[in-house]
Amino acid sequence: MRDLALLLSPRVKGALNGIRLSESRARKRTWILGLLGIAFWFALFLLSARVLRYFQSVELVGDILAYHLLSMVLLTFFSLLVFSHVITSLSNLYLSKDLELCHATPASLEELFLSRVFYTIVDSSWMVIVFGLPVMMAYAYVYAPGPGFYFTLAHTGLATVLIAGGIGVLLTMILVNIFPAHRTRDILMLLVILLVVGLYMLFRFLRPERLVDPDAFFSAVQYMGALKAPDSPYLPTRWVAEVLWHHLGGGPAVGYGFHLALLWSTAAALLVIDVWAAGGIYFNGFSRAREGKRRRPGGGLFLNLLGRLFARPLGPDLRAVVDKDIRTFFRDNSQWSQLILLGALVVVYLYNFSVLPLERSPIRLEFLQNQIAFLNLGLAGFVLSAISVRFIFPAVSAEGRAFWIIRSSPLTIRRFLWGKFIVYLIPMLVLGEILIVFTNRLLQVTPFMMGLLAVSMFFSVFGIVAMGVALGAMYPKFRYENIAQVSTGFGGVVYMMISSLFMAVVILLEAAPVYVIFTAGVRGVAVTTLQYMWIVPVFFLVLVFQAAAVIVPMRLGIRALGEGE
Amino acid sequence: MIRLIGLTKVYRGFTAVDRIDLHIPKGRVFGFLGPNGAGKTTTISMMAGILKPTRGRIELNGIDLAENPSEAKIRVGYIPDRPFIYEKLTGMEFLRFMGGLYRLNNGVPGDERALELLELFGLTDWRDELIESYSHGMKQRLVMCSALLHRPETLIVDEPMVGLDPKAARIVKNLFREEAASGTTVFMSTHSLEVAQEVCDEIAIIQDGRIIARGTPTELKARSGVDGSLEAVFLKLTQERMSIHERSRTPA
Repeated sequence: MRDLALLLSPRVKGALNGIRLSESRARKRTWILGLLGIAFWFALFLLSARVLRYFQSVELVGDILAYHLLSMVLLTFFSLLVFSHVITSLSNLYLSKDLELCHATPASLEELFLSRVFYTIVDSSWMVIVFGLPVMMAYAYVYAPGPGFYFTLAHTGLATVLIAGGIGVLLTMILVNIFPAHRTRDILMLLVILLVVGLYMLFRFLRPERLVDPDAFFSAVQYMGALKAPDSPYLPTRWVAEVLWHHLGGGPAVGYGFHLALLWSTAAALLVIDVWAAGGIYFNGFSRAREGKRRRPGGGLFLNLLGRLFARPLGPDLRAVVDKDIRTFFRDNSQWSQLILLGALVVVYLYNFSVLPLERSPIRLEFLQNQIAFLNLGLAGFVLSAISVRFIFPAVSAEGRAFWIIRSSPLTIRRFLWGKFIVYLIPMLVLGEILIVFTNRLLQVTPFMMGLLAVSMFFSVFGIVAMGVALGAMYPKFRYENIAQVSTGFGGVVYMMISSLFMAVVILLEAAPVYVIFTAGVRGVAVTTLQYMWIVPVFFLVLVFQAAAVIVPMRLGIRALGEGE
Repeated sequence: MIRLIGLTKVYRGFTAVDRIDLHIPKGRVFGFLGPNGAGKTTTISMMAGILKPTRGRIELNGIDLAENPSEAKIRVGYIPDRPFIYEKLTGMEFLRFMGGLYRLNNGVPGDERALELLELFGLTDWRDELIESYSHGMKQRLVMCSALLHRPETLIVDEPMVGLDPKAARIVKNLFREEAASGTTVFMSTHSLEVAQEVCDEIAIIQDGRIIARGTPTELKARSGVDGSLEAVFLKLTQERMSIHERSRTPA
C-alpha cells in the first residue's frame, strides 16, 4: 500500500503546486471560471426546481412524472459515467506519458493499476457529480426530505460511480486486448458520438414536452405507455432511484435494504473483478499499446479534391497550410466524427421549428411567426458560436507543438490568421444561411423578414468567425492531449460570452427598425420619411458594428500571436 | 551570412541572452557551445524568428529579421532540437507542405528535391506512411529534409545529433561540411564537443547568456592554455567563468 500512496502523490502534489504556484493571471482565470460554474449550477438548480414544482401541480401523475424524471436523470448520468470511464481509463491506463516510467519502477502491477483506476474515477466523475448535484438538490428543495436523504445520496452516489468505473475500466481492458489502444480510442469516440446522436434524436422525436399535457393523448392507456422510462430491475440506477424515492416521501420502505445491499455488493464485486482481470490482461494490453505499426493514410483522392477546392484561390504558402489543415482534420477520427454531431444538431434544430405549437398562442399568428423568426437570429447565432468554439476557436492551437514551423517560416502571422478566417468563413456562411432560411420557411415569415434576417446572419457570421479565430490566437494552447480540451478552457468561455453579446447587440439594434417596417407592412401603410431618417442610419450602424467585430478582434489576435512566446 | 548585434533577451527580469555580438561570414560552420541553460536555444529561437528579442538586431544574409521577416526567413532553414511535426501527414505530404510554405516553385514543388533528400536520409520507404508511426530519429531526419528542401543560404540548427544513429550522424556531419563548401552558412548549437571539433570552422562558448570565448578550436586551446581535447578547453573556460561569478557574489 506504500507504493500506492507514492503512485498517487504526483497527481495530488501537482494539483497543490498548481494552486500554490500559479500566477495571478491564472488565479484570476480560475476565479472567473469558478464564478461562471456557480452561476451555471444555480441556473440548473432553479430550472430543475421549476420543472419539479410544475410536475407537482399536475394532478394524479405529478409524482409519477417526478419519479420517472429521477430515474431518467440517474440513467443518463450513469451512461455518461460508464462512457467517460472507458475514455479516461484508456488514457490513464494505457496512453499517459508517465506510464512507461511507472511500469519501469518496482511498484507492483496491482498497485499501479489501482492508482490509475483512482485517477480515472476522479477524472471521469467530477463533472457528472457537479452537474448532477443541482438536480438532486432541486429534488431535496421541492420534496423537503429528512437528513437521511443527503447521507443516502452521498453513499449511493459513490457506489454508482464505483460501479460505472468498474464496468468502464473492465470494458477498456477487454477492448485494448482486442484492438490496439490508439485504434480503440478512435473506435470508441465514434461509437460514443453515434450513440449520443441516436439518443438525442430519439429523445427529441419522442417529443417529451407532450408528457405534461395528458390531453394530447387519445387515451389514458396510451399516456401511461408513453410514461414508461427505459428502466430495468437489473440496472443499478433503478436501485438508487428506489432508495432515494423512499427518502423523498414517495415510495414504501419495501426492498430498501435489499437495494442498498445490491448496490454496494455490486460495487465491491466489480472492484475485485477488475483487480483480478488486471492481473491477467492489463500488462499485455499496455505492452500492445506500445507496439508501433506503420500506418498508411486513407482517403487520399477525397482529401486531394477537398484541398484543391478550398485552397486553390489562396497563395502557395496559405494553400499549403489549408491543405495540411484539411488532411489533419479528416485523418483525426476525434475531429471529423464531430461533424456527425453537428448534422444531428442542425436536424433537431429545424425539427423544433416544425413542431412549434404556434396555433395555440393567443397572439396573432403573423406577429408571432415573425417575432420568433427575429429572435431565431440570436438562437442561430448562438448555435454558430457553439460550433465555432469547437471548430474555429482551436484552429490556431491545432498547430500544436509544431507551431514553430509557422513561426520560423516566411508566412506572416497576419496572413496565417486571415487564411484561417477565410477557410472557416465559407462553411459557416452556408450553415448560418441554412439555419435562417429553412426555419424562416417553416415559420412562413414575410419576404421582408426573410431578406433582412438572411442578410443580418450573413454579415454576423463574419464577426462570429473572426472572433473565433482571433480569440483562439489570443488564448492559444499548444500543449494538449486532445484538441477538444482547448475549447473548454478560459479562452473558449470568453469567446462564447463575447460572441453571444455580439449577437445580442445586433438584435437589439435591429429590433426597433424591424418592428416599424414590419407593422407598417402588416397594416398596409407606408413607412414615413421621418422614420426612414433614423431607420437607415441604424442599419448602417449595425453594418459598422459587424465590420468592427471582424477588424478589431483580428488585429488584437494578430498582435497577441505575433508577440506571444 | 549571420550578424547578431547587441542581441538580448530578458524573461521576467531574468536575462537569458545578454548583448551578444557575432558576425559569421558566408560558407562557415559555426558551433555554439555552452552548458545547460546558458542561452543557446533562446539565441537560436530568436534567430529562427520564434522569439522576439528584447533588444538588439539580427541580420540574416544581409536582411534585417525584424524589419523584413518573410524575406529573411525564406533564405533560412531551421532545425529545432525536438522534431514536433504534424503527425497526421505522411512524410512526403509534409515535405510538399514545407515546399508550399517556402514558396518553392510558386507553391507547386517538384518532388525531385524531396525524393532526393528522403533518399539521402534513408526515408524513401517511409515517405507515404503517417509521421505518427515514425521513430524520434526518423522525425528528426525528416525535419532536416524539410530544412534543406528550399536550398537555404543559412542553416540554423539546434542540437543536430540528438536522436540520430551513428550512420545518420555521419550523414549530417558530411552534409554540413558540403553545404558550407557550397556557400551556405551553418550555425549550430551542440553539446557534443566531438562534433564541434570535427565539423566547425569556428566556435563560440556561451555562459549565463554571454559569449565568454570565441575562435577556431586551435585558437581556443591556445587561449585557455590547455593542451588537450576541446572538452578540457570547454571545462576550463566555463569553470573559470563560474569561479569569477561566484567570487563576485561573495562579500569581502
